[in-house]
Amino acid sequence: MTLAVILKQVPDVVEELAIAPSGTDLDRDSVSYVVNEFDEHALEEALLLREATGEDVVVVGVDTTGELDQALYTALAKGAQRAVKLVGDFEGSWLSTRALAGLLAPVIRELSPRLVLTGVQAPDDLDGQLAPTLGALLDWPHTGVVVGTELADGVVRVRKELWGGIMLDLELATPAVLGIQAARATPRYVPVGRVRQAMRESTIEEVEVETPVESAPKLSRLRAPEAAGRAEMLTGSPSDVAERILEILRARGLY
Amino acid sequence: MLTTPERIAFLLLALASLLLTLRGVRLIVRAIGRGYGRPSWGVFLRRVIPVSLDILLQRPIFRTRPLVSLLHAGVFFAFVFYGLVNVLDLLEGFNGYSTLHASGVASAYNLVADLLSVAALLGMLGLLLRRFGLRPFRFNRAVFLLPSVRFGISRDSAIVGGFILLHVGSRWAGQAVRIAESGRPDWSQPTASLLAALLGGLDAATLAVASHVTWWLALGLILAFLPYFPYSKHIHLFMAPLNLILREEKPLGRLEPPVGNGQVGAARLEELRWYQILDAYACIMCNRCQDVCPAHGTGRALSPAALEINKRYYLNRNLNSFAGGTASPPLLETATSRAAVWSCTTCGACVRICPVGNRPMLDLIDLRRHLVFAGDEIDPNLQTALESLSRYGNSFGKSARQRARWAKDLPFPVKDARKEPVEYLWFVGDFASFDPRMQENTKTVAQLFHQAGLDFGILYEDEWNSGNDVRRVGEEGLFELLVEHNLAALGKARFRAIVTTDPHSYNALRNEYSALGLDVPVYHYTELLAELLERGQLQPSKRLQAVATYHDPCYLGRYNRITAAPRRVIRALGLELREMPRHGENTYCCGAGGGQIWMDSGGQERPSEQRIREAIALGEDVRYFVVACPKDMAMYSDAVKTTGYEHRLTVIDVARLVAWATGLIELEREAAPVSQS
Repeated sequence: MTLAVILKQVPDVVEELAIAPSGTDLDRDSVSYVVNEFDEHALEEALLLREATGEDVVVVGVDTTGELDQALYTALAKGAQRAVKLVGDFEGSWLSTRALAGLLAPVIRELSPRLVLTGVQAPDDLDGQLAPTLGALLDWPHTGVVVGTELADGVVRVRKELWGGIMLDLELATPAVLGIQAARATPRYVPVGRVRQAMRESTIEEVEVETPVESAPKLSRLRAPEAAGRAEMLTGSPSDVAERILEILRARGLY
Repeated sequence: MLTTPERIAFLLLALASLLLTLRGVRLIVRAIGRGYGRPSWGVFLRRVIPVSLDILLQRPIFRTRPLVSLLHAGVFFAFVFYGLVNVLDLLEGFNGYSTLHASGVASAYNLVADLLSVAALLGMLGLLLRRFGLRPFRFNRAVFLLPSVRFGISRDSAIVGGFILLHVGSRWAGQAVRIAESGRPDWSQPTASLLAALLGGLDAATLAVASHVTWWLALGLILAFLPYFPYSKHIHLFMAPLNLILREEKPLGRLEPPVGNGQVGAARLEELRWYQILDAYACIMCNRCQDVCPAHGTGRALSPAALEINKRYYLNRNLNSFAGGTASPPLLETATSRAAVWSCTTCGACVRICPVGNRPMLDLIDLRRHLVFAGDEIDPNLQTALESLSRYGNSFGKSARQRARWAKDLPFPVKDARKEPVEYLWFVGDFASFDPRMQENTKTVAQLFHQAGLDFGILYEDEWNSGNDVRRVGEEGLFELLVEHNLAALGKARFRAIVTTDPHSYNALRNEYSALGLDVPVYHYTELLAELLERGQLQPSKRLQAVATYHDPCYLGRYNRITAAPRRVIRALGLELREMPRHGENTYCCGAGGGQIWMDSGGQERPSEQRIREAIALGEDVRYFVVACPKDMAMYSDAVKTTGYEHRLTVIDVARLVAWATGLIELEREAAPVSQS
């Protein structure tokens, strides 16, 4: 049996993001990509399950960036057994979560996994729709905000986090789709040598898919965040600084 | 003269003893042979004479502990001379040849043998007194020891010490007996003659028996001891010289890449290199490495001595099976612990101090390589740093494009060495580029170079971390990645030489990159500053009248022996330099090396705090704690605060002092006790 993990690349916000002249996209030339952080946790949780039960881990992704290979090889180096890449005529575009789920569903059905694990959310899916949408398309049970899993006969026991730190334990019939909030352990380090070994020795399976017909809302304009307020560094002797603080507080009627 | 039965007995015992000994030695040779690689005969031929001279002069031993080394020298010289003594004594036993009451060369021989016997006895008594009385073996409680080691060290020391005392003592007493038998003192053997005077009252029959007994105790004892010899630490007297002679002359700062064929690092004894197994046999358990180890000195689980001794005791107990090719258990079960492996700062102090040429640090790095490659859990902060390094080329998690942001604040542009030729390519390094506390220093260095009219440039975002510490953390693949990136970047630039701020980058570029294809001179900025001051390109307008001490960075002072240049700078500014006890090549680690700067050391007192106390002990008037390494600046700025000496001692980069003297910058609080002239 297998565990499918969905990996998605998102812009690396450590690098400065710029908006393309079109106004509806990021400047792709200056963007670099990282794997969505929650997806890293989904992969780690799958690897932990594998260590406990011996399932195969298959990582699946839609290559919208042209750079997905790196992410997939890294996953193979971490201990995944197979990597599947969906390719099509959508490189350089953003897929909506719904379109993404639509592309993934038939491929995942064919893999017939016991479990599908994906990040609970992503920078371009803050509502966390991927797991529920996939669940609906596949007609499999699903849940999100998962912080721990355990596989048993025909079921998966999951722990999810509710508000205020309240924990909820659930049991879902497998196959099921899980949105992972945090793996039980920090996503493991993969040495560069292992990634290079995976690049030499493993292959990524490719699946051609049709470009989906978008039914999602159309993007009209992207905007950079505007500076809301400015911090002021107070310098000088302690008494100068105290004086200045008082002044500011008075000016705002707080003192 | 021996009786005929005695002669036959001796010959039979000698045969048995030699056969047993030979078997032990052969097993040891096979055990060492299980390690990777083979010694080079070229190295042997080149080094055998100079290194043997070094050993005859006892130079590796006198590096520290002068009094103990003197005791050792007594035993050592006696041992060397006893090679001849034992042969002549054998002759005496078998055909009656004797130098007693002889004249000429033989009397000189008598005198030397007599005096060295006493030197060996006194030396050995002194060493035993030290080991069992004054300074017994102590390890931190966290140090991993094989069960057989704790008792074994004392037992082995007692057996070896006892053997030497009995062997030399019996020979000495035997001479006294023979002198007493002759009825008159032999003044070429003064001490034995004194002893003989005490034996004067004994009758001839008793003396005859004593003569036989002492002969057997002197020479027969060798036969009894020989089979134990390969299992004792005494074998160091062959293995230590071999270890020193066969050591290739390459810088300590250049690590060997992993052995290849898919193996990264070493998990087991047989996965080490041959010389790392030889190390265990060369070790004499003097514990000097542990004394200088900053990890052990701050209560952590690492003792380089324990590592070698554990290896040795494992081998002693399992020599047959190990030499026969059986896989040994993991080193983490027989030699050391994970905690120890991860507390090494790779400061190199253990390697430098070891009188027998051991390099326990290399084992720890090989273990790290193995653990990292095998996916063993690593310190979370280290993991974050490594992930950032592989993605952005720096450990700060910052975009590479921000690397040269500090240069924007300068009143002049810094040349882009990728776009125009420069004389000096300045390899700035991560800490100097990204750490906000260090950027002021970096700007100061740039201003000094500019003021001196130096033609220099930087690589901007194409400079990545040099990988020095990445390699020492055991992440060899990431090291290769960083090297590939930097070599490509350096290949795009045109320059005559490289100058670095960070001693760690200096070491990597100078020693590691040069083995991978980089062929340019590399300088540390202190070398350049010294030269610019001496050539008059930098002219101090003020003199600093204060007392300063200087901390040698491990990778500058110990690894690369750059100790004079920073001191030339300090003195050129008019400062009075007062040395800490541990300085130059004997410097003490700040605790940041070998990747420790990315790890959590776990709450004990830090080496940097001990170091600040060492500086404080130099006197009330020491004002500056001068550093020449961005990591030192970070470590000691913290340590001076945590120890509460912030208002007494100012941690300052040597460049800041130069810049103040040349009028480039103003020092605020730091300048208080300094008068201008």
